Amino acid sequence: MAEKLDKHILKNGMVLLGERMEAVESVSFGFMLPAGAARLPEGVCGAANIIADWIFRGASDKSSRQLGDALDGLGLHRSISVGSSHLVIGASLVAGNLSEALNLYADIILRAGLEDEQFEPAKQLAIDGLLSLDDNPRQKVMLKLQEQFYPKPLGRSTAGDIKELKSLTAEKTRQITKDNFNLSQTIFSIAGKYDFEKVVKQMEKLFELDSKQAAGTIKLKPKAAKYTHIPHDGAQVHIGLMTSTVKPADENYYNARVAISVLSGGMSSRLFTQVREKRGLCYAIGARYHSLKEAAGVMCYAGTTTQKAQQTLDVIIAEFNRLKEGINEEEIERARAGLKNALILQSESSSSRAGGIGGDYYTLGRVRSLDEIKTKIEETTVDSVLEFLRSNAFEDFTVVTIGPQEVKMK
Amino acid sequence: MEFKKKILENGLSIIGELNSSAKSAAVGFFVKTGSRDESKDINGASHFLEHMLFKGTEKLSAIEVNESFDRTGAQFNAFTSEEMTVFYAAVLPEYLAEVTNLWIELMRPALRDSDFNIEKNVIKEEIAMYKDLPEFDAADKCRSLYFDGHPCGNSVLGSEESVDKLSAEQMRAYFKSRYVPDNMVAVFAGNFDWEQICNLAEKGCGNWQRKETGRITEDFEGSKKKERTEKPNINREHICLMSRAVSAQDKRRFSAYILATIIGDNVGSRFFWELVDKALAETATMQYAGMDGTGIFHSQIQCSSENIGLVMDTVNNIFSDVTEKGVSVDELVKAKNKVLSALVIKNEVPTGRLADVGFNWMYLGRYRRVADDIDAIKSVTVKEVCSLVKELKPTEYTQFSIGPAKTR
Repeated sequence: MAEKLDKHILKNGMVLLGERMEAVESVSFGFMLPAGAARLPEGVCGAANIIADWIFRGASDKSSRQLGDALDGLGLHRSISVGSSHLVIGASLVAGNLSEALNLYADIILRAGLEDEQFEPAKQLAIDGLLSLDDNPRQKVMLKLQEQFYPKPLGRSTAGDIKELKSLTAEKTRQITKDNFNLSQTIFSIAGKYDFEKVVKQMEKLFELDSKQAAGTIKLKPKAAKYTHIPHDGAQVHIGLMTSTVKPADENYYNARVAISVLSGGMSSRLFTQVREKRGLCYAIGARYHSLKEAAGVMCYAGTTTQKAQQTLDVIIAEFNRLKEGINEEEIERARAGLKNALILQSESSSSRAGGIGGDYYTLGRVRSLDEIKTKIEETTVDSVLEFLRSNAFEDFTVVTIGPQEVKMK
Repeated sequence: MEFKKKILENGLSIIGELNSSAKSAAVGFFVKTGSRDESKDINGASHFLEHMLFKGTEKLSAIEVNESFDRTGAQFNAFTSEEMTVFYAAVLPEYLAEVTNLWIELMRPALRDSDFNIEKNVIKEEIAMYKDLPEFDAADKCRSLYFDGHPCGNSVLGSEESVDKLSAEQMRAYFKSRYVPDNMVAVFAGNFDWEQICNLAEKGCGNWQRKETGRITEDFEGSKKKERTEKPNINREHICLMSRAVSAQDKRRFSAYILATIIGDNVGSRFFWELVDKALAETATMQYAGMDGTGIFHSQIQCSSENIGLVMDTVNNIFSDVTEKGVSVDELVKAKNKVLSALVIKNEVPTGRLADVGFNWMYLGRYRRVADDIDAIKSVTVKEVCSLVKELKPTEYTQFSIGPAKTR
């Protein structure tokens, strides 16, 4: 695993990162624009979703249709995601079309038309996307959970708020775009088949325009309520549960990852065994590590029919609590094996790697090599994980439920 | 990439595509059995059986199975469709033999009553989960309306009622009739030692009893019925359309794939520009699904109740326009570029190859290189797509919608 990291910083501060993969014919890239939900001003929740659509509706001298046709003509597969910190736009494509694709993305980021008549459909789609969450309670419960768990505004809904979305105007949204597409705070990452020297030259030409801009800051406020129930006359109670743990930069990060994997890594993990295999309470049950730069947690989901909901929650919380009481060597061994295997499988996909190196750089200020991660996972032991859990126990849960009936927090 | 195969005396195929530059390897057991092979009284048996294989053998308990997989770090799972049941794992090359041995053992499961009874609860929870996802519910019901009594319309999950009534004995009988060697294939892809893996599979599966099995395959036109149900607790209109397409064995399947991309890819298609770009619907996609002996085009649309009329008028116009006037060269070129790059990207990882190599073997009984598929897509012409759409008539669709009560 001797991958080499390519890195260059443009004069305006924009960071370019790359990881060349010898075995692939594709290339994937992403622009992490500092326009995620938590970075936008108060009162405009959902604006990032409008922006993500609006910027593709014509740019430079191209109409919406011409731009769409040009992107399609390159056969590229677009990816657009709104997160807490960033709006990420990117693509995966066959390597030969990279240079043309970057030209189009420069137009989209720097010279989007943002015309009035294209604003209304972009806004309507953001509103419709939000309303359609009502028909997907599983997704809705996890968004609401982050909102309740993270200090405000970090968990602000990435789908938006209906009132605030409706109140947005083209003028206001244009201003938000201008304020937040700050190239000095943008990270560009690329992985797969490419020539970094050529990429740097092209990116200098395309993006090295403005002078350096200061970074915006996020002021943190306290968390919301510990338990929230949203009534919904559906077939299941959808339970979302979250508890704090260490951030990726913490020295205990790998102990936390191994602990969470013991709890819910593979099918032999504690939650799957106790909730599904032994009791048949759920089909979908699982917990995973979820982090932002400023805070992190263990995020758990379970979906179960009404009469089993209370027992499901009780068993889950008991398993979280029981973890610090003891873990055996085999459980740790399996957790380490699962984490290492996942790491290698991700390293075979250009889009996973482009996302991985960009995320690392933002969270840690550097990119970890796969060897470093592998070594750190291997260094964890039963003692190190238990010691970590005893001083950072999984307790103090934030819970959200959507369904026909509430549960009791004991 | 190098292809290897061995057919055992009992009829089991062992096939592999080697890629020495891959960092991982993937293994899969593909079984030609799914909900279409079930009779009404055992509906849901294929999917339930997929769950039961993880419950162990005479020698291994369910917990030991899970622990054995997890020791290798494998990413493993299984899925069941109308057509197939597939068990797979992706793993570092040094663990492939261990994981393969485990799958081989599991292909001859214990199917214990006690495990069956607990797992029934899990299956019923899975059925409940999909009830809360109207998009899936609409697709499931549309399929059964389209196939209108034909076994291809059987629900994969079955209903709460059919699963409740299913007995462990019925499942054991179904297993014996379907998990027979010449109805299965062991597939490998990525970085592995063929001799070692093939010997291992031969040793482990060579004593499986040969038995005849089959499947009714016939082309199907679709009922063209249209139905809508209301649910009080939902917000959007979930529309599913199905119409006739060519089978997974038909040479024109690449043209069908291109046609679905032109009409209903998630960006840049006719559906996209006429429905999504104009914000009449937040989702509008069309896909081609080639099946054993038949095939369907499958569209999913999601919009507000207020827009249903306008949305369906637009959809009907798109379907009649493409049927009457065909597709343009420009549309064909764009669709090909998108399809080709998706193909290249998917096949860069061993699990992507595993799926294509396995499905091609199951449907065609032979191996195809990625390059063969690339050539086939490149050679599709405007004329071929135009004559296909005229023959298949997408205007004649079956429709099932789930939406909120109209008197809100």
